[in-house]
Amino acid sequence: MVMRCFLPKIIICGILILFGSWHLIAAAAPSTTEIVFLTWKPSQPAAWEKLIQKFQKKHPHITVKRQVSPHSSTEYHAIITQRLKNRDPSVDVFLMDVVWPPEFANAGWALDLTPRFPESEQKKFLKGPISAGTWRGKIYGVPCYLAAGLFYYRKDLLEKYHFNPPRTWPEMIQQGEVILRGESDPGLYIYSAQFKQYEGLVCNMLEFLRSNGGDILDRNTGRVLLDRPPAVEATRFVRDRIIGNAAPRGVVTYEEPESLSLFTQGKAIFHRNWPYAWAVADDPRKSAISGKVGVGLLPAFKGHNHAATLGGWHFGINTFSKHPDAAWQFIRFMTSKESQKTLALEAGLAPTRKSVYEDPTIQQKMPHLIAFLPSFKKAASRPPSPIYPMLSQELQRFFSTAIIKKNVALPSLAHTSAGRLKKLLALEAMMVK
Amino acid sequence: MIRKNQFFLLLLLPALSLLVLFILIPVGQSFYLSFHRVISGLPQLGEAMVGFENYRDLFHDPVARHSLWTTVIFVGVTTFFELLIGLFLALLMHRHFPGRGALRAAVLIPWAIPTVVAAQMWRFLMNDAYGTVNYLLFGTETASYVPWLAYPATALGAIILADIWKTASFAALLILAGLQVIPPEINQAGLVDGAGSWQRFRHITWPLIRPAVMVALLFRTIDAFRVFDLAYVLTQGGPADATNVLQLYGYKKMFVEGWMGYGSAISVCIFTMALFLAVVYVRAVGRRLLEARV
Repeated sequence: MVMRCFLPKIIICGILILFGSWHLIAAAAPSTTEIVFLTWKPSQPAAWEKLIQKFQKKHPHITVKRQVSPHSSTEYHAIITQRLKNRDPSVDVFLMDVVWPPEFANAGWALDLTPRFPESEQKKFLKGPISAGTWRGKIYGVPCYLAAGLFYYRKDLLEKYHFNPPRTWPEMIQQGEVILRGESDPGLYIYSAQFKQYEGLVCNMLEFLRSNGGDILDRNTGRVLLDRPPAVEATRFVRDRIIGNAAPRGVVTYEEPESLSLFTQGKAIFHRNWPYAWAVADDPRKSAISGKVGVGLLPAFKGHNHAATLGGWHFGINTFSKHPDAAWQFIRFMTSKESQKTLALEAGLAPTRKSVYEDPTIQQKMPHLIAFLPSFKKAASRPPSPIYPMLSQELQRFFSTAIIKKNVALPSLAHTSAGRLKKLLALEAMMVK
Repeated sequence: MIRKNQFFLLLLLPALSLLVLFILIPVGQSFYLSFHRVISGLPQLGEAMVGFENYRDLFHDPVARHSLWTTVIFVGVTTFFELLIGLFLALLMHRHFPGRGALRAAVLIPWAIPTVVAAQMWRFLMNDAYGTVNYLLFGTETASYVPWLAYPATALGAIILADIWKTASFAALLILAGLQVIPPEINQAGLVDGAGSWQRFRHITWPLIRPAVMVALLFRTIDAFRVFDLAYVLTQGGPADATNVLQLYGYKKMFVEGWMGYGSAISVCIFTMALFLAVVYVRAVGRRLLEARV
């Protein structure tokens, strides 16, 4: 009986409270537009914060709310795809890794930006990142900053032994062997890079494969090249000459920070990393070898051109966003010449706009960026595909096994893996018309 | 009377609806997805019903088979050592000595640390350049430091070790509970009859704590079967897939690759295997418990 009397009253009270608070919320809502910017945790948050403040000052009717994800690209991808897949409208703008636009475009997650970002505007950016943001003739990402595999070396040691920076991989090892003999330091290694089973492994291995005239696959013909001789030879070179020889065995557990720290502690003569490593390696507070660092193009195999993998991030707009125009204002501001200058000067991020490289302040304060430009212009993307995450998982598995298990027959391992890639590509071809 | 029952049902409703919302629906959805071909990057696929295709593929997937083996090795080794060490710790903690309370608390610390934090700590300990494990073994001779996580066998070993370190104390706690319900009179009677300490353990303690050990075994096997965080933090499945345990493989398929159907099939398989183990154990333990009562 008691129940009967109480329940309706409670329900009515509940409804009243809900209704009342809804009114309060609605009344308190400002007339400005709030856009949500999904990003990862930046290593230089101050520069980003400064730009966002500046944007809000310039556009008082738009406020930007930042949502921060883990720094790892793979983890960030898992989070963002979960939200976009569920058509979550609460994200407006997001950062996209350079390999994601085909997937996001095909899945209908990223808004087609071609009307807002016409070819005349695209021309003001470097070509590599623009084509990485394009899928089937339409553009989905505006390049925020770019990266490419760079070759760092110990200028002082090369000078001491009268070497020029090596042009080929075998030459790098020969030089290194001479230096190791001369230095007789048991803690010194020739090479340091990223060979852990993760996305970075694909970037590193792709540079070896491509600098031997090989590749993972040919997107024009649709052929898988992973099990062809140039690719297999390059993989074998890494397995036999790099892992546990030129580089310590531990590199198969290294991502960027660990491999860089080996170099900055003076324990590696040569090092492959992205442009950000320059600022760290040349900073006397963070590096034991500041002032002794040189940087240039990665070596190649004899008779072939050097290859650098393209990295970097794009801005994209959520298809399900309710404020695409405000989001576009934000992107336009963030990719303007002034903002790219700020990100370069204060966060060390390489600009994607050509004109920034001609800016006198940049030329004066960041001469190394100008030196990187040839590498940036030549940098080639990982195979663009809406199922890139699937391809990457298979490639990570293959490369990790290939460089670690020295007694496994490489050609047959490559053949098996190529077979799996073909199956995945067939799935893609079937569905993507 | 009927009204009273309805009232109780009403009280149960919140708990029941939570269970349905957070357990029944997700499990059901996994089953549903596992019979469909769903790839989040290829929405053109739709959600085609493919019957047992995912399971058939899974059955013929060498990576999955390798993952299963890795998981089985992990479960076997960790469970065995956790119970052995747990038993030893429980017997130790059961004795009367000064500082027993402090020891009991200390033993439980590893278990109280969140697994992700513990895994991160082990990653530092196992580091090839500054890891404490290397320092303890080789001192300042940095040239002979071993990159433990760089070899398939030692990487799996590291995860096994971290798991044993973390959960042996949980097994100890369960077994200790079993030890404490043994009436001291039985042991005293054994002592009077001239039984040595091994004989007392073999014929008095062991039979009486066996149900508790079985419960610990049940918990540990099923828990070990679902290992994920240790591998995720320490190695992310590498090197060369050596630590790619089933849960991690399923996670990668589902959330990294976006292959929802296939990933769900893996989850369903793990669920089924864990359920099977649970049923077998519960039946065995249940019988033992009854025998112990009689």
